[in-house]
Amino acid sequence: MQQHSQNDDFSQRPYEPITREGESLVATHCAFCGMQCGMNIRVDNDTMAVLGVEPRYDFPMNGGRLCPKGVSAYRQAEHTERLLKPLIRKNGVLTESSWDEAYDLIVSKIKELQSKHGKDTIGLYSGSSMTNEKCYIMGKFARIGLGTKHIDYNGRYCMSAAATGFNQTVGIDRGSTGPWSDIKFADVLLIAGSNTAECHPLSMPYVWGARDRGAKLIVADPRQTKTALVADIHLDLRPGTDIALTNGILHVLINEGLIDRAFIDEHTAGFEALEEMTRKYDPATASGITGVASEKIVEAARLFGRAKNGFVLFARGIEQHSTGSDTVSNYVNLCLTTGKVGRKGAGFATFTGQGNGQGGREHGQKADQLPGYRKIYDPAARAHIASVWGVDESEIPGPGISAYEILQSLGEEIKMMILVCSNPMVSAPSVGDVGEYLKKLDFFVCIDMFLSESAELADVVLPSTVWVEDNGTTTNVEGRVIHIKGIDRTPGESKRDWKIVCEIAERLGRGQYFQFDSPEEIFNELRTASKGGIADYSGITYDKIDRMNGVFWPCPSEEHEGTPRLFEDLKFNFPDGRARLLTFEHTGPNEKVDAEYPIILTTGRVVFHYLSGNQTRRIEALRKLCPDPYLELHPNLAARHGIGNGEMVKVSSRRGSIFVPAKVTKAIREDSLFVPYHWGKQLAINHLTNPALDPKSKIPEFKVCAVKIEKAKKGELPNGQSAVH
Amino acid sequence: MAKVLYIDFERCIGCRACMIGCEECSGHDRLSRMFVDELYPGETVATSPTPCMHCVTPACAESCPVQAISVLDGVVLSASHEKCIGCKNCTYACPFGIPRVDETRNLMYKCDLCYDRTSKGRPPMCVSVCPTDTILFLDEEEARHKRNKPVQYVWDFGGTTIETRTVIGIPDKQTHQFGYH
Repeated sequence: MQQHSQNDDFSQRPYEPITREGESLVATHCAFCGMQCGMNIRVDNDTMAVLGVEPRYDFPMNGGRLCPKGVSAYRQAEHTERLLKPLIRKNGVLTESSWDEAYDLIVSKIKELQSKHGKDTIGLYSGSSMTNEKCYIMGKFARIGLGTKHIDYNGRYCMSAAATGFNQTVGIDRGSTGPWSDIKFADVLLIAGSNTAECHPLSMPYVWGARDRGAKLIVADPRQTKTALVADIHLDLRPGTDIALTNGILHVLINEGLIDRAFIDEHTAGFEALEEMTRKYDPATASGITGVASEKIVEAARLFGRAKNGFVLFARGIEQHSTGSDTVSNYVNLCLTTGKVGRKGAGFATFTGQGNGQGGREHGQKADQLPGYRKIYDPAARAHIASVWGVDESEIPGPGISAYEILQSLGEEIKMMILVCSNPMVSAPSVGDVGEYLKKLDFFVCIDMFLSESAELADVVLPSTVWVEDNGTTTNVEGRVIHIKGIDRTPGESKRDWKIVCEIAERLGRGQYFQFDSPEEIFNELRTASKGGIADYSGITYDKIDRMNGVFWPCPSEEHEGTPRLFEDLKFNFPDGRARLLTFEHTGPNEKVDAEYPIILTTGRVVFHYLSGNQTRRIEALRKLCPDPYLELHPNLAARHGIGNGEMVKVSSRRGSIFVPAKVTKAIREDSLFVPYHWGKQLAINHLTNPALDPKSKIPEFKVCAVKIEKAKKGELPNGQSAVH
Repeated sequence: MAKVLYIDFERCIGCRACMIGCEECSGHDRLSRMFVDELYPGETVATSPTPCMHCVTPACAESCPVQAISVLDGVVLSASHEKCIGCKNCTYACPFGIPRVDETRNLMYKCDLCYDRTSKGRPPMCVSVCPTDTILFLDEEEARHKRNKPVQYVWDFGGTTIETRTVIGIPDKQTHQFGYH
């Protein structure tokens, strides 16, 4: 296939896939993570059974390469645990039932509760692993199907801090300022709070691409991750001290004249205050707070400042904090003070965690947002969307509350919740409390393709399809809109998520707003709704995506070829065109260590699992490679507690405790622990995490809480301490 | 020119995509022939993939009592279904511990460089999927001489020298340690 010039510097390889006899290939994308790697799914021509995966060598982002999740993603399609019929709780037990019975029950509960408590008594808690079409329809369904202001999504736990940070600093939230191939042309890469190698493995060819050209790599992470392992400088900071670290680097950049004064003067505002405030963060002071040797801070600043081109990349490690959005802004300050933005090799990006973490935060399933990245309290935005939807502007509710706040208000303002494509019983902080909140609901509906830990608690569970059984678009880590091609099948009685909510709307008498026969029809409405907004998709069509191997937004007309790189004119998205150099003091995490809970706990992902593990824990190949969570601790800390490698440890915070086996390793700081979060119930480390929210973005502080550890005593282990979901 | 596997083990992230991908090649009966090892557990997180090293003089084939293991264009193939008696001589003979025996079929299986793919001009499955380009499929000459780091393809096993067609790229310990002390 002839590639569009936007893909010139990417990773595609010159091979055709192999098609085997009796099979067809569906050229689609992976279900997991924001890289959205291209892949071919092998489908049996007669039975439409999903048979396997075949590399899609011509897709620019990954050139056929896949991580273990990608290679095995298809194995969920034929999984024996798929939900094939609606389940209704009868005499306490989820029982297979008909769609009519399930719909009748749901609609009667909606009507009953709304007439008693008002429209806002229904909460819709959605997810960002869905296509843009589904995310769009969820926002519309909440606002004018249900008429509730209460919709928010699990991206609140994921991308909200980066979104808020970008908005306050450059006025626009697209995860990357440039196409991913720009990374290859950096002279220095600063990767902070991202275990890129494990969480976004397909970014590594770009990192190595830069290294092969001589680029230096700086990694800021409390752990010696696979990414830190190959760094020139590993800034092994204490969790929760990123603002002090970046202030320290800014101090050196300014003090040693490594800043771009002309760029600062012409294209930014706020430098004087930044210079004044960072004066006190000399390397020794920054070192005292962060635990990073001051020479390393100086060396990192010099490497970054002296390089002509450079990229700053970050992820949840810096974002999931009560100061998450400000931390994002402070990392972006490194690019803005040194003029590293708006050209090949220079820019900044956040690694999108969820499959559609980018598109899912643009088209109206956030509490305060309407499609096209519009604000729900902006009268012009409301008027535009009201006209697209064919309703009176007054019918669109105002802003609601954030995801964790929705959970906290269950049983109070919100009596009924519809949960779509999310599993808060694993993914929310302080998950023991979440279980209590869910119990207070009058009625709980869950839409999922497997019986997740959250679905197990529902009154009605509706079976949906896996990702490759539907068409649609997602928007990847770069801001590239891509086409998920699906197989035309719905196993058993499962239905696609968008179809389900459209059918509920029909039964609520709101069907006139939900007359869609295909995802492409929804997409065409989304295009109109997004027109003129920040995330403008109006010029993007399915055909164009296929022709160009993805289209970067904004794309304001059909003639327009999309915008791979932002800020090429060095105009930022504020009326005066200047980026904001905002100033932040180090305040540290919400919960600090003390005598009773003296150790820092941080959490994260492993390469084998995706988010709450509802999909990947069911895929045997992945489960075998990582069946259980584990506790990474330093040999010195282990010795002080008499804990040997592999021994069970009780780890406790003020909110809860779990038992996990010890993995004694020098790859972690002596004052910190790490546990991956992909498991539920007694294996959920989120029993311990702190639900303190960043006041600006409402992201919870997953990445730091205070804990203590004890070697597990004989007979203390709970029954059923096993890996299997 | 014949192509060989080149392993730049500094780039390995231990993700095992190669092991799972290996199951996806149509000639592989869903049995993985790849290995990934932790190099210094507890000290660093370093890992490395080990495919068949495709020895120039393969001990597996030499040890086979029924001559079930043949070499085709330098590629040491899996044992012939007809001939293999599942005796495991090959698994004991191989200095790298590569051949395995499928107990249910009493049949040895190992890396055949994805004959089903390479015979059609596509790279093997491990090379196709490896997310970090740790495993590459290169002309033998390029793998041995033209990469930008030291390589090893001659191995000393207690006085026995073994030359392999699979080439290992070694991290440059002079310029950076990369945790590989």
